[in-house]
Amino acid sequence: MLALAGIAHTAPSAQDILAASDAIRNPGKPFGLTVTLLEYRNGKQSDSDALTVYSKADTNSGQFRSLIRFVAPARDANKLMLKNGNDLWFYDPSSKASIRISPQQRLLGQAANGDVVTVNLAKDYKADLLAEEDTQDGERQLRHCYKLALVATSVDVTYHHIEMWIDTGNSRPVKARFYSESGHHLKTAYYRHYQTELGVERPTETVIIDGLNPNWVTVMRYSNYAWRDVPDTWLQRDYLPRFKPE
Amino acid sequence: MVRALALTLLAAAGPALADDEDAAALALADKAPTVAEHARDWRVSMQAAARESGQRSGNAADDAEFLALDMHYDRTFARNWRAVFADRLDLSWQRRLSNENTVNTLKDAYLSWQPQPDRIADLGRINTRYGVASGYNPTDYFRAGAIRSIVSIDPASLRENRLGSVMLRGQTLWSDGSLTGLYSPKLADRPNDGAFDPDVGATNHKNRWLIAASQRLSDSFNPQWLFSGEQGRAPQLGLNLTTLLNDATVAYFEWSGGRSPSLVSQALNRADDTAFRNRLASGLTYTTASKLSLTLEYEFNGAGLDRDGWNALRQGSPPAYLQYRTFVQTLQDLPTKQNAFLYVKWQDAFVIHFDLSAFERFDVVDHSHLSWLEARYHWNHVDLAWQWQLNSGDAGSQYGALPQRQIWQALITYFF
Repeated sequence: MLALAGIAHTAPSAQDILAASDAIRNPGKPFGLTVTLLEYRNGKQSDSDALTVYSKADTNSGQFRSLIRFVAPARDANKLMLKNGNDLWFYDPSSKASIRISPQQRLLGQAANGDVVTVNLAKDYKADLLAEEDTQDGERQLRHCYKLALVATSVDVTYHHIEMWIDTGNSRPVKARFYSESGHHLKTAYYRHYQTELGVERPTETVIIDGLNPNWVTVMRYSNYAWRDVPDTWLQRDYLPRFKPE
Repeated sequence: MVRALALTLLAAAGPALADDEDAAALALADKAPTVAEHARDWRVSMQAAARESGQRSGNAADDAEFLALDMHYDRTFARNWRAVFADRLDLSWQRRLSNENTVNTLKDAYLSWQPQPDRIADLGRINTRYGVASGYNPTDYFRAGAIRSIVSIDPASLRENRLGSVMLRGQTLWSDGSLTGLYSPKLADRPNDGAFDPDVGATNHKNRWLIAASQRLSDSFNPQWLFSGEQGRAPQLGLNLTTLLNDATVAYFEWSGGRSPSLVSQALNRADDTAFRNRLASGLTYTTASKLSLTLEYEFNGAGLDRDGWNALRQGSPPAYLQYRTFVQTLQDLPTKQNAFLYVKWQDAFVIHFDLSAFERFDVVDHSHLSWLEARYHWNHVDLAWQWQLNSGDAGSQYGALPQRQIWQALITYFF
């Protein structure tokens, strides 16, 4: 009886497992990185984009607020985006226009996949442990994983529910499947190529497979991780025209 | 029974199929090349265009070719110091007149100093722009006289290809809010049409000032207040509001109000009829999951002409009519009191990289309208576009008075 109580006490809760996996993907202090996106359709590369992202967790909501500057392609270079919850602004330095965009509008752009990177899932989803099982990771290695079912607790999120596999040994996210409210499978993400970045082994590549058309694949690579000072005063519409990453 | 069996087999095959698809995607990702993209301080594009037009009777064709070089440079040259320069050179050849025209537009040329993360000062020529609406921006106080060469009537192009005003600007920021103040002095008496003239007289022929304050009150509510004035005019108050109605819809409201004479009294030097006048633009942008965005906007100009005034001007002296239209066009204002604007953009229409855009401007007062359609395909460095414009309406109406009934334009743009 005492032994059972001991196990129950030490076993992490589904929510703790999820939070630990968030900490692997997301550095604990304000940081910057470069995201390169390669998009494939039917095996052929159809797009290539690069973004510089400065991110900082909001002290109240725990969710990340980001300033994003487009680096490539040339037509979009130096355009900017602010993501502060559902307060989304797009700024084009040519027309000097700060345009408020809806979450649905953001999904039109490549940066839409950015939410797979800097999002604290434990803040917006309730996790349930479905099983412990072996699953193949992005490197085709079998990993012993917690399989979690996440259900959105906030109406502001892009995905209504998520299935997530997290390595039982080291809390690394291995794989996730994202679903809409109607149950449509929207995308699958594999977190892979773990390397030490900002003191923790983090995934440096996410492979995203479209749920409706599996021949649509996006490879997201993360580089140039660095701690960055991101004052709160920068995370607003009026600073967008001023933002210039180092 | 057969259907149930088929569904059962399909369900059983599902995970296996997904595993195969995942394996194929991962194999593809293994072969993805390493691409090193670096942020650049400059952006340069070159554009060539050819225009054909269908004229109204009595007007000669004005078909033309265009070439443009557009550059933007933004460099941090010392700690806390930044230099910004943006310029566009337009060359055009009108076939009928065998006329060659060169127009240079100096958009930005200023220095920026940021001694602290939340304090910034700028000095130089700055294309400063306010407003959240799409088709008409009453709070874009520095738009008057700013356009030297109309590249396209697409509102985005009109905002982009214009002169900045010479000014001293300061900004202070706090968490979720900011305060900006600027002063733009009179530096010349009148515009200068010289091809490479900086044309300071077009933008700085009066002393002007502006104060803008914004405070984010919640995720969905971020108002911006403006207070603006110019020599010889009563100050104008402005407000920009946006809110998210749902995941797919943004609503916006842009208003400017203050005491001012009507446009017709200014244009034709008529008796001063100064009164409190409102200008506003308000609308919605809705985006579908199939990448279609629709914007519908209502526009009101309290300084423009109502139906009676507009009809009287149209039926009166042609020089007075022309003078009014030219004056209003220079101010980038609306000649009549009420207009509507619809903008539709369909990204990746039918095939990826192919975008269809269209807008319709409708004059509620005289029922004339302007229709514009663009088909654009883009590669990594090249955009190819075809544009069509139709001006419809009675003689002397806002759009019916334009000499061209239809315009076709093909453009190719190379981004370096």
